[in-house]
Amino acid sequence: MARGWLYDGESAVRREVEAAAEGAESLRLDLTEGGRVEAPFDMLCHVESRRDCEVYGRMDVPGWRLGLFHDGAERLIARMPRKQSYGRLIDRIGLGPAVVAGVLFSALIIFLGFTAPTWLAPLVPMSWEKRFGDSLVGEWGGRYCRGQGGQQALEKLAGELSPAARDLDIRVVHAPLVNAGALPGGHIVIFDELLKEADSADELAGVLAHEIAHVERRHTTQAMIREFGVGAVVSALGGPAGSRADTLLAARYSRGSETEADSDAIATLRRANISPLPTAGFFERLGRDEAKLGRAASALSYISTHPLSAERRQRFRASAEKGHAYRPALSAAEWRALANICASDPRRGTDDLDFF
Amino acid sequence: MNDRQGLAGERRAEPDSAFVFEGNWREFLPIALTNLLLIIVTLGIYRFWAKARERRYLWGRTRFIDETLEWTGTGKEMLIGFLLVILVVAPVFFGAQLLLQALAMRGQGDLALLIALGLYGGAFYMIGVARFRALRYRLSRTYWHGIRGGSEDGGWGYGWTSLWKTIAGSMVFGLLVPWSMTELWNDRWNKMSFGQHEFSAGADTEGLFHRWLIVYLVPVGAIFVGLGLFGASSAFSDGPPGDGAAVAISLFVLFIYLAFLLASLSYYAAFYRQVVNATGVAGVEFEFTARTKDWLKLILGNFGLVIVTLGVGLLFLGYRNWSFAVRHMEAVGEINLDTLLQSPYAATGDAEGLADAFDIGAI
Repeated sequence: MARGWLYDGESAVRREVEAAAEGAESLRLDLTEGGRVEAPFDMLCHVESRRDCEVYGRMDVPGWRLGLFHDGAERLIARMPRKQSYGRLIDRIGLGPAVVAGVLFSALIIFLGFTAPTWLAPLVPMSWEKRFGDSLVGEWGGRYCRGQGGQQALEKLAGELSPAARDLDIRVVHAPLVNAGALPGGHIVIFDELLKEADSADELAGVLAHEIAHVERRHTTQAMIREFGVGAVVSALGGPAGSRADTLLAARYSRGSETEADSDAIATLRRANISPLPTAGFFERLGRDEAKLGRAASALSYISTHPLSAERRQRFRASAEKGHAYRPALSAAEWRALANICASDPRRGTDDLDFF
Repeated sequence: MNDRQGLAGERRAEPDSAFVFEGNWREFLPIALTNLLLIIVTLGIYRFWAKARERRYLWGRTRFIDETLEWTGTGKEMLIGFLLVILVVAPVFFGAQLLLQALAMRGQGDLALLIALGLYGGAFYMIGVARFRALRYRLSRTYWHGIRGGSEDGGWGYGWTSLWKTIAGSMVFGLLVPWSMTELWNDRWNKMSFGQHEFSAGADTEGLFHRWLIVYLVPVGAIFVGLGLFGASSAFSDGPPGDGAAVAISLFVLFIYLAFLLASLSYYAAFYRQVVNATGVAGVEFEFTARTKDWLKLILGNFGLVIVTLGVGLLFLGYRNWSFAVRHMEAVGEINLDTLLQSPYAATGDAEGLADAFDIGAI
């Protein structure tokens, strides 16, 4: 005879019962104090194993607990639901296969995470990205420089580099940063400190060609997808382990697309018949400034977002054809207008320049 | 056991025996290791099931008077709770972040600051709500004698209480923190119940203020003593400070850290004794006996374990903290099982999602 105890989930009183199978369908519980309770087998689940008994619950009655003492209930316990340990799915397939499945699943997710932005980015309509970028960037709070002839020179240079530059919004922004960058929606910004560092339009051409490549290759879209799409999902679900995977993705991304943008820039310069040597020289000079100022030089943020490795400089340098007659990217007058686009802006100084 | 069947009737809670932890680390080790393995291979998603397994073990090895506790929360419900909250909270914060960036780039700094402040206040409010709901969830999944706890309150009002009392507590240079902490403990627990019985919590700040003052004065005192020492040493010696001074400064900083740790522990030890001792339910009054040296042993033990095991010990911190709490919990009084009936309040579906979203540590 199987003996046990019962909590009915209504009151805290523990009742002694004798349990027996009633046919194939249900379990009959006779209370010692009198009365009888029936419970269908398929509503029962295993809750825990204790030293002296197995404890079962009813899925439809919270708090309903039946303890069956091991002594004398062996045959009945064999008919009862099995113990659960890791969770229903893993219990069903076993720990070993679950771990293997988990490893495959993780590998798939990481693989998708790596590649999804690359193949998703071209599918995002440019108009969406444009709207998003416009709402994000606005007018930079009126910080665009509009000095005489500067914008024309800049657009001419961009036009020489890429026929698609007409659709881009390329601006010089007054801010104390040596940097340039591509933002969503075809916005390219060049900070005027970078212009001051550059000695000629040829030096700027490589930097600009690199940023145009980011836009044309839709790297900005990829970065957005990675940042807000896959990255958000992985870091939200995965907790600490997930956010580490996320960092990995971002690191791999920037290096891969930076290299790609450099290759494009080199090809662009060749097509436009502009020498890549000044660009290489410019990178070298920025690199020396960095060494002088140390890593803490946050004003040189171009270096932190575009690592100036010797390898990068070497690629630009090596792409130069010996003895080839390159042409200047802009005339001397155009370059002067561009270099002074902020200094000669009549509105400069009227707005709040201490924003950054 | 004075009644007929030895099963119904009154249960007397005796000091030194009301709460007993019956687990041991050898039993827990396989659970911890398989949890870690599964968390790794699922990129962290298994952590909800891992937490459920860990709690099932810890609760099941915790005896209160004549019966062990039971944890009935599941990994699935914790995952769903988490996703629910993420779906609500994440878009709000994500959208606000974009808005702030856009405003900042347009030079609307003041408006951006205002919105950021509003967000900050909103997050603060939600942290209060989250703390309340996490407690309610844990009670609603904790069974004893087939009866669970819960609350009929959703914690939305508690969020406001928590917001203003925390702000009020931080006034006067934070000197009222003991007041806000005990008040909020009472506010939370007075809305909780077990079965159909309401918890009652009436903690006051007796014996807390002077310990809090010490926590407060250690850094302030350190600055004065440090300045004094510095002034004295530079007055008596000419020439630059040597290696001896560097060693002295390091020792001094270390000493300050230890003093601060000890002062904080002494405050928290007193706080938990104070609030738990003022809390009771269904005819039972609780007691918490851990003194500062017990907390110190727990914390140093946790540190040591993690360092000696090169991090594997992290798996055992939940176990150690729980068993520490149970070993120092006592209860006095009598529970009448005949009148302890099932909780009438529905258990909610958001589990600890909100608390998870705000990264509030739970057991």
